Formats: sequence, structure tokens, C-alpha cells
Amino acid sequence: MSRAGLFRTLSLTALAAFVLLPFLQAVELSFTITRGAEGAPAGTFGLHNYANILGTPALRDSIINSVIYVLLNVIFCLVAGLPAAYGLARYTFVGDRHFLFFLLAFRVTPPVVLSLPIFILFARAGLVNTPVGIALVHCVFNLPIAIWILESFITAIPRSFDEMAFIDGHSRTGFFLKFLIPALAPGIAVAAFFCFIFSWVEVVLARTLTVTGGKPITQAITSLFSFQTDWGLVMAMTVFSLIPGVLMIFLVRNHIARGFVVRT
Amino acid sequence: MKLQSNMAWLFMLPTALVMAFVAVVPMVTVFNYSFHDIFRLDQLFWVGTEWYETIVSSPRFWASLGRSAAFSSLVLMIQLPLGIGIALMLRRAKPGTANLMLMCLAIPLVVPTNMVAGLWLALLRPEGLGGQALTALNLTLDYKFTAVHTWILILIVDTWHWLGLVVVLAFAGLSSISPAYYQAAAIDSASRLAVFRWIELPQIAGALWIVLLLRLVDSFMIYTEVMTINAGGPRDATTFLSLQLGEEIKAYSYGSAAARAMVNFLFVLTLVWVFVKLRQSRDSLGDKAT
Repeated sequence: MSRAGLFRTLSLTALAAFVLLPFLQAVELSFTITRGAEGAPAGTFGLHNYANILGTPALRDSIINSVIYVLLNVIFCLVAGLPAAYGLARYTFVGDRHFLFFLLAFRVTPPVVLSLPIFILFARAGLVNTPVGIALVHCVFNLPIAIWILESFITAIPRSFDEMAFIDGHSRTGFFLKFLIPALAPGIAVAAFFCFIFSWVEVVLARTLTVTGGKPITQAITSLFSFQTDWGLVMAMTVFSLIPGVLMIFLVRNHIARGFVVRT
Repeated sequence: MKLQSNMAWLFMLPTALVMAFVAVVPMVTVFNYSFHDIFRLDQLFWVGTEWYETIVSSPRFWASLGRSAAFSSLVLMIQLPLGIGIALMLRRAKPGTANLMLMCLAIPLVVPTNMVAGLWLALLRPEGLGGQALTALNLTLDYKFTAVHTWILILIVDTWHWLGLVVVLAFAGLSSISPAYYQAAAIDSASRLAVFRWIELPQIAGALWIVLLLRLVDSFMIYTEVMTINAGGPRDATTFLSLQLGEEIKAYSYGSAAARAMVNFLFVLTLVWVFVKLRQSRDSLGDKAT
């Protein structure tokens, strides 16, 4: 092996270790009983922590809550984002640049800035403690992303594709459902991936909007921290929270980079 | 070519309605609150720009602004060169290895933000793998009481969290370079540095500008990770802009929290605006050149 090759191998191994070490520790802890109980002394290995999650309704429900609002958010973003992306890909109109500028600005606005008025507004609308509320509020940062991604995929389809369908007598709606959406399947998958991930990992707004019920998985983990934290249980829950994301990475591993081509 | 039609606004309607409800109305509400003193939400007293004057004349605000600016600079100086360097290295590695590394580097991106720091704190417990390694090396990481150590830990955690984004995008940009460019460079016997400056950098610039913006704004407004690690301590040494805002929201001082939120939003808006302008002027320069 050349000297450059050796240097590269060593660097990449060190990098992989740096990235994976916290996960190794988490998985190891999740299988370790950190708070001893009868028949299961501290320090032994086993599935005790995972059994604990499934046996605790609050923890189990939090996983279901998260899955529901994340899926709802993906649907909202696709349904509202698809027409917008189509309009931006095919037409120029007065104010299109400003529209894109505000999408970008709201995408990067920190949730802490919006948390206070969003709580007041959503409380008045009866959307606190519901998955619909969180799914809606996550559109602040996910809808712009969905639009950018879908727009870049639609632009790649020539306009003659649309015109052929119209000449054949299809309405705009028929064209969307029968032609555009099937042709756009990879773009929709990438957009859904990013919306899913960003909604799944968001903490501040999801916490603000769940006061008494409907707690997401991230809140369930936070509530496990106490003066004497049961690290095994915390890490088992964290490992649970990683499963969807890791699965998603595996599924879209060849397309991830497309998502960040942003136009303003 | 695109068609010109203002009817296209109809396509924007669903998005405009959703964004109005979840972003524009809340922003206008904050703007309104920031000029009021609020005890209860139905009792608003007009105070004009008093909250803003208080913020601007508070040394603590300027100190946290300085800390946020310093933190963002460090983040960009570490993560961009490191990410680009790794992407260049992966281009020379075997495709299978590169793909596996990219997937590894993407995993930290899908960790819930409140557990990003949590994973590292678990690793660094005295009985954890990291804690034991530090003891074996005779090192201490006193992130609770030594400010420098807290900063180092936050920088490590943030780099761990976001490095994958820089690498994935830089790598995607590099992959799109046609081999003809490299062959031409080889014929001209261009140096490695020249190849990077004139072939590789222009190709990844398009993808990198959005990474640069996301990393700049996100690090400038970092909240959850810092809160988890040491809640802004020791003695305010890691109290960044959004942590001050968080304090006021928790203390229910709606008026001053709203003013502070507006100030932070203004920073974000300015950064985005500067970015868009820089990019547009660069694009138009490119148009003239071709």
C-alpha cells in the first residue's frame, strides 16, 4: 500500500470510530441493566430495558404519537408542496422570488423564536396536545424543503410531457394524479425522507405543543432524566428513536444529495 | 423556458395558507407583543420600543452575541474544511468504502436533537467507554465547571452531529465532475492545489452555499445541545443568543421575550438576505463571463 493509501485508511478508520462510538455505547448500555431490580441485578446483560419500554404505557404511546404526527406532516407537506413546486417549476410570476425568499427565511428561523406565539395561537385553535398540531407546525421548516426538492425533480421533466397530457384531453387534476405523480415517484420519496427525518428529530416545537398529552418520543426520553437516571432505559429508548432514521438512510442511500439543490 | 402567468399563484395557495397560519401570523403576533408589557395575555400595555432599548443597552446581550458569533465562526472554520477534506478523500477511496462511510456519517443527522448531547454525556460518564479512555490517558474533561472544556465538548458534539451534511453534499458535487476535466488538468500538469481551486471548488460551490447558510444560522441559534450539556454555564460562558431567549420564555416575560425573538429573527433574516444577494451577484457575474 502506498503511503497516501495508508494515511487514507487510517484517517477513515479514525473517522468511523469517532462517528460510531456514541452509538456503540448507547447500544451497549441499552442491553445493560443499570438500575438493579429483583432477579435482575445491576450490571447484567439482557433485554430487560426493552421489555420495560413495552411494559410502560407512557413510553409505548409516545412512540405511536411520534409516528402519527410525522406521517401526517409528510402528507401535509406533499399535498401542499406538490402544486407549489409545480407552479414554481413551470411558471414565472410577479413575486415568485420573494415567495422563495420567505420560504428560505422561515426554513432557517429557529423554533425558539416562534414557540411562544405558536403555543398561544394553537391553544386558541384547539390544536394543543394533538398530533395534528405538531404535524402542522413542522410544516414551517418542512414545507420549504419539500417544495425545493419537488421543484428540482419537476424541472428535470420536460414541459412537453405536460402538454402531451393536456392535448390528450386530461384535466389539470387528472394530469397531476395520472401522469405527474407517477413520473415524480423518486422525488416524492426523497422529499418524504427529508420531511420524515426533520419532523422526527425536532424537539422544541413538539414539546411546546404537548402540555398534558400526546407527548412525542423525544419528550418521553427527556422525562426519563432525573436525579438518578436509569441510563439503560434512556439508551434503549434512544435506540428505538434511531431505528426509523437508520432504515430511511438505508432506503434512500443513493439519492440523498439531490435534496439540497436550492433555488432562490 | 418557463411561461409567464400570474395565475400560477393559485398553485401557491395551499402553501401560502399553511405558512400564513404557522409562520406569518405567529411572527406578526411576536412583533406586536414586542411593543407591549404583558402580565396576562388579555392585558397588554403599550411600552413602545422600551424592550428593545433594554436589550440593546444590556452588556449581557452583547456578550452573548459575541459568544454566538465566535461559536459560529469556529463551527464554520472546523466543519467546512474538514467536511470537504473528507469528501476529497472518499473520492479516492473504493466506491463501496465511500458509500459505507457516507451512510455512517449520515446517522448522527437522524438522532433526535435532545439526544445528540445525551449520547455524548452517556459516553463520557466515568464508567462509560469515553470516560474510561480519558482516565486511561490521564485526561480530564471537566465540562461542568471549566468553560474551555464546555466549549470543546459543544464543538465536538456539534461537529459530530453535522459533519455528515457537509461531506454528503461536497461528495455529491465532486461526483458530478466529468473525468475530462481531470484529464485536461493532467495534460497541463496542473498542481493538486490548482485542480482543487479551479475544477473541484467551483463544482461543489453550488451545493456548499446552502450548507454554509444552514450551518451558519443553525450554529448561530444553537439551543438544545447547549441546554443539555450545561444549560449555558459555567457562569454564562456558553449562554448563546437563543439560550437568553429561552430563559425569558421560561420566566413568562412575554413582552421582553417577544422583543428578543424579533431581534434574533432580524439576525436570521439579514443573514439569509446577504446570502441571496451574494449568490445572485455571483450568478450574474457568471452570466456575463459566458
